Amino acid sequence: MTLEQILSSRPSPGKPRTYDFPHFERTVLPSGLQVIAVDVPNRPLVSANLIVRHGAAEEPPDLAGATILTARAMSEGTQRFPGVELIEAAERLGATLHVDASWDVVTVSVEVAASRLGAALELLAEQFEHPTFPDSDVARLREERLNDLLQVKADPRRRVDQAFNRTIYTAASPYGRPAGGDEESVPRLTPDVLRGIHRSVLDPRQAAVVIGGDLAGLRVPEIVEAVLGSFGEDAGAKAALPAALPKAPRSDSAVDHPIVRFYHRPGSVQTELRIGHVGLARRVPDFHSVQVMAAILGGLFNSRLQMNLREEKGYTYGIGAGFDMRRGAGPFSVRTAVQTAATVPAISESLAELRRIRETAVTAAELAAARDYLVGVFPLRFETPGAVVGALGGLFVHDLPDDELTRYRSEIEAVTIESIQKAAQDHIHPDRLAIVAVGDADAVAAELTAAGFGDLEIITEELPAGAEEVEEAE
Amino acid sequence: MTAPSVRFTDERLANGLRLIVSEDHLAPVAAVNIWYNVGSKHEVPGKTGFAHLFEHVMFQGSGHVAKAEHMALVQSAGGTMNGTTWLDRTNYFETVPSHQLELALWLEADRMATLMDALNQENLDNQRDVVKNEKRSSYDNRPYGDWFHKLQEHLFPPEHPYHHPTIGSMEDLDAASLEDVAAFFRTYYTPNNAVLAVVGDVDPAQVRAWVDRYFGEIPANLAIPPLGDMSLPTVLGAESREVVEDRVPLPRHFFGFRAPVLGDPRYDALEVAAQILAGGKGSRLYRRLVRDEQIAQDVAFFALGLIGGASIAAGQATVRPGVDPALVERVFEEELERLGREPVTDDELVRARALIETFELEALQRVDERADRLSMYATLLDDPEMINRQLGRYLAVTAADIQRVAAEVLRPDNRVVLTYMPATESASGAKNEETAA
Repeated sequence: MTLEQILSSRPSPGKPRTYDFPHFERTVLPSGLQVIAVDVPNRPLVSANLIVRHGAAEEPPDLAGATILTARAMSEGTQRFPGVELIEAAERLGATLHVDASWDVVTVSVEVAASRLGAALELLAEQFEHPTFPDSDVARLREERLNDLLQVKADPRRRVDQAFNRTIYTAASPYGRPAGGDEESVPRLTPDVLRGIHRSVLDPRQAAVVIGGDLAGLRVPEIVEAVLGSFGEDAGAKAALPAALPKAPRSDSAVDHPIVRFYHRPGSVQTELRIGHVGLARRVPDFHSVQVMAAILGGLFNSRLQMNLREEKGYTYGIGAGFDMRRGAGPFSVRTAVQTAATVPAISESLAELRRIRETAVTAAELAAARDYLVGVFPLRFETPGAVVGALGGLFVHDLPDDELTRYRSEIEAVTIESIQKAAQDHIHPDRLAIVAVGDADAVAAELTAAGFGDLEIITEELPAGAEEVEEAE
Repeated sequence: MTAPSVRFTDERLANGLRLIVSEDHLAPVAAVNIWYNVGSKHEVPGKTGFAHLFEHVMFQGSGHVAKAEHMALVQSAGGTMNGTTWLDRTNYFETVPSHQLELALWLEADRMATLMDALNQENLDNQRDVVKNEKRSSYDNRPYGDWFHKLQEHLFPPEHPYHHPTIGSMEDLDAASLEDVAAFFRTYYTPNNAVLAVVGDVDPAQVRAWVDRYFGEIPANLAIPPLGDMSLPTVLGAESREVVEDRVPLPRHFFGFRAPVLGDPRYDALEVAAQILAGGKGSRLYRRLVRDEQIAQDVAFFALGLIGGASIAAGQATVRPGVDPALVERVFEEELERLGREPVTDDELVRARALIETFELEALQRVDERADRLSMYATLLDDPEMINRQLGRYLAVTAADIQRVAAEVLRPDNRVVLTYMPATESASGAKNEETAA
């Protein structure tokens, strides 16, 4: 055969190997703490996450940023290991302890050789239960956050994200605030405030430890109970009460008709764009239809938005769209950066795609492409224990049933053209969205006004008061 | 901990294609990673950015694959894919459910054999626009965005192929023609200039049969022009400095040094040194500049392994408001120089080794990373077995090795210092408008 003959016949797939999401065991300790263990054999490292359902969404507005700052300050020393001694002790095990906070949870995580799991968990427990929040370190972390806010203003991508969230949510919702806090709230975050947040986080009824890796010979619940079995005040007594899921945060929309907010950044060679509105929480009945719809619209490499704005028009290096699903309704957004001259056409095309996904049914080929991708890539997502542990943590955060992941592929396969269109009509709202941009307003204002996308507001902000430096440089 | 052991076969087809296959049935996943021995160092003046633009063209279809169909076929198979271009090389990769491996091999073969059958001016123009937007979003519209390009200019003389950025210049991108694409393809995208690694849930005999079938008839190019001599003096000879005014709120220093090439044991020592200097909150630079003296907002130090005359060691520190940038620079440099003056402590070495061991084990868990490294070591060092030796080399680094390499590399006459300063009002018209408005 010639090379031409060989290459002109496309290979067909072989027989798929069966894949099942790894089996896991859930145990509830007397304190109420859940332990989820998942055996992923023949991996050298074990991944352990301690997750508490007490995220930044719980904090009062005047203390915005307190949870994330608490998480950061938990690495600044404990009673037994002041300063960086805890970090050093973990490093001797080849481990890095990470403390992170999101809108939904605080997570302490570690990845370590299976033989050192016990020792690493002891350090994890020490860091979780006994941080001291020294005045000087908390003051330094506050300063670092305030400096970071200066950097946000100079970085169009971060600036547009912050402006978009502030635009689409009302002040009653935490999601409109920067999760790390703003210039007003951060100075209020004293060590006592952080200690208060930390006490709330020490609630075993809202906590789970997820451990994955080669667990042969390890009695995981006993190991966990020995080091983390008794944190929290009156843990045992409280455990008798049902562990109600914390209330979902408010996510009221501030937008009831199309609006445009354009932040003027003179001389920008691109416009950073976010187009969207308040979206969905993770726990929605049509989750799988939404996933397939979002993949077709702006998730796949060959999504409608990508094919139109990148592969046909060349306006951008990349464009995506999707739902950031949290315990409350996170944002739905189209996200891209386009060359300045293409700003208005790029907005027009994006809006056209939002209308099209609602108004015309997707084709059978589009459905197949998205469905086959989401189903086929499922095993690839869980190659490592860390990825498996992360997914199981998600079940706990959103209080999803144990078979959520094992059902995932059949649920995706059950999605239809009709259910996709219904999801688009129910959850994408071109009649009440915000278009938020950071770019050179002088270059596009006339065209933008003429386009009439919605109420237009052009905002010129002073660049941040890195003022000291500017004066110095002069 | 068990040392990683990656078993693989290493063969060459008659047309010169190097095939490396590693079997691992833990997950039903297979990774394909093909490295072409061509990077931005092969570009000539006036044609910068071409290797990378070409990488984009490789996704615009080939003889039996339509524009954008490569992505569609891989994703519908449940796979992921991409390509990357760097100074020394260009690579393309797919990770797929293992029963879809043949598709990935066929896709790579089709574009190696028949790319030019599909290329047209419209697709080239479209990807030129996409790449120009990539340059804008990754560099031009980003605070401090051009630091690495400036470092390249200072570290390598104008005639050296590492002097210019991989993304290229707008003018050169505009000038790229279909003829340039065709010539580049004929010259470099040939089986004898490529390494193909296949890792995961695969049958090596079956892989060899498929590779013979799809790649075996693609002709070699026996006249690949050799690169010129890229050797360089080991040190710059004199410190090189630049102050850059940019729209940034905080000053930031970037530091650069010529360093030993990848594969040199001193390069391994430099990687361990970087871990001790700036790897996490227990590191020297973080502790002194961020935590104790509180003069920097953040710090970093790392090595970028290259083979053409020198690697790059680089660092950065963002200056806190109200702090004299000169102080931050002095303290940062003091720590680098101290590393060359006195040995690191036993405890620092123990911690660095333990962390590096975990990082390596973590990275090698994934089949795509193993495929990438096998192709990398084969392409850059002609030594894929390095995948099993690299960790041992890191763990063998001694305090004396670190002190020696620090003294050789991190010295003032081998140093580039870029200082980004918040732009003054007179620095640009744009700035004037903003403050006036």
